[in-house]
Amino acid sequence: MKSEKDRIRLKPWTCEINGGRVSLNISPSRRLLDILRDDLGMTGTKRSCDIGRCGACMVHMDGVPVNSCLVPAYQAEGRSVTTIEGIGRDGVHPVQQAFLEEGGFQCGYCTPGMIMTVIALLDEHPDPEPEQVEEALSGNLCRCTGYAAILRSVRRASERIIRERCGPGGKEDARI
Amino acid sequence: MLSRSSSGTRWRVRPDGPDKVTGQLKYLTDMSAPDMLYGRVLRAAHPHAAIRSVRTERALALPGVEAVLTWKDVPGLNRFGIARADQPVFCEDRVRYTGDAVAAVAAATPEVAEYALQLIEVDYEPLRVLTEPEEALAEGAPQLHQDGNLLHRSEYRRGDADEAFGMCAHIVEATYRTPRQMHTYMETEGGLFVPGEEGRLTVYSPTQHGLMDRLQLSRILAVPPESIRVVSSPIGGSFGGKDELNVQPYGALLARVTGKPVKIHQSRMESVRAGLKRHPMTIHMKTGADASGRILAHQVRVLADTGPYATLGAEVLNFATEHAVGSYAFGAVDAVSISVFTNNGMSGEFRGFGGNQALFALEGQMDRLAEALSMDPWEFRRINLLPADGTGPFGQPISATGGALKVWNALGESRLWREREHLTESGNRPPWIQTGVGAAFVMHGAGLGYGIPDPSGGRLLLAQDGKVEVAFGFEECGQGLLATLEQMLVEMYGLDASDLRLVIGDTDAVPDSGSSTASRATSMMWQALKRMQKPFTERLLAAAAEAASVSVECLRIGNGGIYDIYTQKRVMTYQELAAAGKDPIRAETSFAYPVSPTARIGAHYLYSYAAVCVRIEVNRLTGRIRLLDQFHAVAAGPVMNPQGYLGQIEGGSGMALGFTLSEDAVMEEGIYKTGNLDTYLIPTAADLAGPVEVLPIEDLPEGDEHGPRGIGEIGSVGLAPAIAAAVRQATGIWLEKLPANPALLQDASFLGRKGETV
Ligand code: FES
Ligand code: FES
Repeated sequence: MKSEKDRIRLKPWTCEINGGRVSLNISPSRRLLDILRDDLGMTGTKRSCDIGRCGACMVHMDGVPVNSCLVPAYQAEGRSVTTIEGIGRDGVHPVQQAFLEEGGFQCGYCTPGMIMTVIALLDEHPDPEPEQVEEALSGNLCRCTGYAAILRSVRRASERIIRERCGPGGKEDARI
Repeated sequence: MLSRSSSGTRWRVRPDGPDKVTGQLKYLTDMSAPDMLYGRVLRAAHPHAAIRSVRTERALALPGVEAVLTWKDVPGLNRFGIARADQPVFCEDRVRYTGDAVAAVAAATPEVAEYALQLIEVDYEPLRVLTEPEEALAEGAPQLHQDGNLLHRSEYRRGDADEAFGMCAHIVEATYRTPRQMHTYMETEGGLFVPGEEGRLTVYSPTQHGLMDRLQLSRILAVPPESIRVVSSPIGGSFGGKDELNVQPYGALLARVTGKPVKIHQSRMESVRAGLKRHPMTIHMKTGADASGRILAHQVRVLADTGPYATLGAEVLNFATEHAVGSYAFGAVDAVSISVFTNNGMSGEFRGFGGNQALFALEGQMDRLAEALSMDPWEFRRINLLPADGTGPFGQPISATGGALKVWNALGESRLWREREHLTESGNRPPWIQTGVGAAFVMHGAGLGYGIPDPSGGRLLLAQDGKVEVAFGFEECGQGLLATLEQMLVEMYGLDASDLRLVIGDTDAVPDSGSSTASRATSMMWQALKRMQKPFTERLLAAAAEAASVSVECLRIGNGGIYDIYTQKRVMTYQELAAAGKDPIRAETSFAYPVSPTARIGAHYLYSYAAVCVRIEVNRLTGRIRLLDQFHAVAAGPVMNPQGYLGQIEGGSGMALGFTLSEDAVMEEGIYKTGNLDTYLIPTAADLAGPVEVLPIEDLPEGDEHGPRGIGEIGSVGLAPAIAAAVRQATGIWLEKLPANPALLQDASFLGRKGETV
C-alpha cells in the first residue's frame, strides 16, 4: 500500500542483471541490495551489516566487486550487474567447485559474497600472491570458518583456473 | 595432522554445499510470502526507565499499518527465557535495557513499519542506570528484579584453602577481565511467520532448538504447542546466540493478530542492541604451590555481568566455576562466583559457555606460577594435571579418556612448541618487532550437566518412496550437522548418500533430540544411530527375507538395497522393499545425555581436551599483536567428519582470536557504542592467514560407550591464554585484560620488560 507521495517519486529504471535486461519502476534512492532481494526475489545476495563492512551483499558491477548495500539504484542504472545467481550457469564455476571440495564454507551466509570477491580476484590475478588474497578478502567477513578453509579454497581455485587456461589441454581430474 | 589429503575418501562434499556455493539455499530470512507484512519491534529508548504510558493510536492510524501490539495484546505468558522465564515479551511498566521491546508493528512496507515506530508515543521516567555489577550489588542500588540484583551464586570448596596457602612457597594473584563478545553470526535474527488453517501457525525462524521455541511460543500465545510448527534450519550462524527466543514472539503475535504472513529481519544495529553477548567477567584468582611446584591451593572469585534478564546466565556461571577449577590436581579449592543483573546488554549462551573466560584466567595462573617457580610451563602443568584420570573439577566421577595427558604430550612434541626455545631475541627483525611462543591446556565439558534434563533421541524410517529417512530434532547452524549425519550413516550402516533423506529443523517432522548446543549433537546422533542400528537393520532384513523368500541370515543391508551375502548381489532395492512392505519399517530411540553420578548441579561427565600452541608477533610501535602460527591437539574421541572437525577447530579458534585481540561490544551508560561492524571488529582473512595445524587424538579406552565427544566449543577456548603466554615471552608483559588491543601494548613501557601488567 504505497502512499501517493511514494508513487510520484517512482522512476523507470533499467539495468542488466545476469545478462538479462530488467526494467522496474522504483525510487532512485532504493539500494541495489533491496531491489535484488525484495523486488526480484534474488536472495542469493545476502544482507548483514547494511554499511559496506561485511561483503555478504557483494555483486559485480561492470565486472568490479561492489557491496550492493551501498549502491543506490541510480548508480546501477544502465550498468551490468552479476550476482551469485549468474555464476556457474553452464556448469559449476571453478571457484564454486573449489569451495565445495575444500569445505570453504560452514553456515554459507557469507559464501555468495565471498565467491563473488574471489572470482573478481582470480579474474584479475589468476595466481595471486598471499598478500593480494588477504587484501582482496579483507572486505568479506566470515564468522564460521576462521578463513583457513576459504584461503585453501582460493588456492585450489587458482590452481584449477591456471590448469584450465594454461595446462596441457584437457580438463583436469575432477575427483576430490 | 587433519587435512583434506590426510582424510582420503572420508573428506566429503557436504550435502548442503551445492546450494550454499550457488546462493540457491533459502535461509529463513530469505523467505517471503504473497501479501506479507513487515514486522518491526520498538525497543526501549532508555537502558532503565519506568514506562508511564504507551500510546499507539497515531501509529495505528497510519495508512498501511495493520497492527500495533503492546503487552496488553499478549494472550498468554508475557515472558520468556529457556531456564527462567523472566524476560518480558513486551515491557509493561519498566524497561531494563535498550533492547527491551515495548511495542511491535506490522505494516505493508518496511518504510511504513519504520515510520510507524516513530509514531508510537512512550512516556518514560528514566531511572538510575546500573552499569557495573559491583554497583548493582552495592547498598541502595535500585533493584532490577523482585529477588534483587543477584541472579546466581555458585560456590565450590574443597579442603582448607587458608591453611593450604600458608604452606605455599609461591603464590600468584591476578585479576582477569574479559570482553562483551558478540556472536556476530552473519545472518541477523528474523524469519517469516505464517498463519494457517484452524489456528495453525508456522514459524520459519532460526533457532538451535525448534521444540523449545515451540514450547515457549505456545505459552506466550496461549495455544497448544502442537498448533505451532517451527521450521528452524538452515541457519546463517548462531554460536549460542539464537538458542533463546529473539524475534519469534513478535512475528508470531503479529501474524496471529493480522491473519497475514509477517516477515521480520533485524538490522545489524538492532541485532547488536537486543541480542545476547558473552558474559563480561572479572575473575580474581590466587594460586599457590610448594617449592617443588605442586599446586596446593587455588582461590577463585568470578563476577559476571549478566545484563537485565536471566536466560542461561546461571548455567553459564556454573560452567565458569567448573572450568575455573579445571583439570589440575589442586589441593584446596575455594571458588565463589556470582552473576549480577545490570542495565547493560543481555548476556547469555555463547560458544564456550563461560569456559573461555575461566580458562583464560586459569591458564594465566599456570604461567605465572611456573614463572615464579622458574619452571618450564609445560613441565609445570604436566606434574599438576589430575593424576587420577576419571575425576572432574568438582571431584565428580567422569568418563576417563586419558585425553588430558595425551594432548599435553602432543603439544610438548609439536614443532611449534620446540621453536619456543630457539626464538632469538630479535633475529633479522627490527627491534620493535618482538615474537613469542605460548601454550595453553584446556578442557571443556559437554552436555547440559548433572541435574538439568538432557534428553535426546532420533528416528529411522524406510519411507514409501524407498528413502531411508533419518530424523533428528537438531539444527544445521553451519557446523555441518547434515554432513556428519550423512557420513555416519554411510560409514556405520553402509548406505549410500543417495539412499538417505535427512530430516531436521521442523517440529512437525522430528523427534525430540534436545538442543543443538553444548557440543552435544554429534555425540547424540552417534549414540542414537548405534542404538537403532540393530533393530532397524533386523527389521529391514526380515521384511526383505519375507518379500524375496530367502533366509534372513543370507542378507545384509548396503548401498542401494539389500544384498545376498553369498553372491554379493543385490536382492532388492530399497524402493522395492518399501513397495513390498505392509507395515512401515522404522526404529526410534530416546535416551538422555550421560551424566556423572554426583549431586553437583551442572557437573559434566564427558569432557574434551585440547592443547594449543601459538607463535605471535608484537609490534611495539603500533601495539598490534599478530597471530602467525597455530597448533591444536584435540582429544575428543573418533573423528566423525574430518572436514567438520577441522572446521570447528579452525573456526572456533578464529572466533577466539577476536575475543583475544579486537572484539568488545562497548557500552557506556547502558548504551552500545559499537553499533555495527565498522566499530565492532571481528577478525578478517588477513588476521588468520597463518598456518593452523590440527591434530586429533582419537583413541578411547577399551570398552568406551560414548564415542565421539563434542568439538563444537573446545576450539574456541584455548587460544586466548596461549596468546597471552606468547605475549609474555615476546614482551615481558602479562595480559590481564582482553581484548589486548593495540592501545594497551603501546602504552606499556618499551624497555621495562619484566613484571608489567596490562
Ligand atoms: S550488507 Fe553490504 S557490506 Fe554488509
Ligand atoms: S560460513 Fe558462516 S559466515 Fe562464513
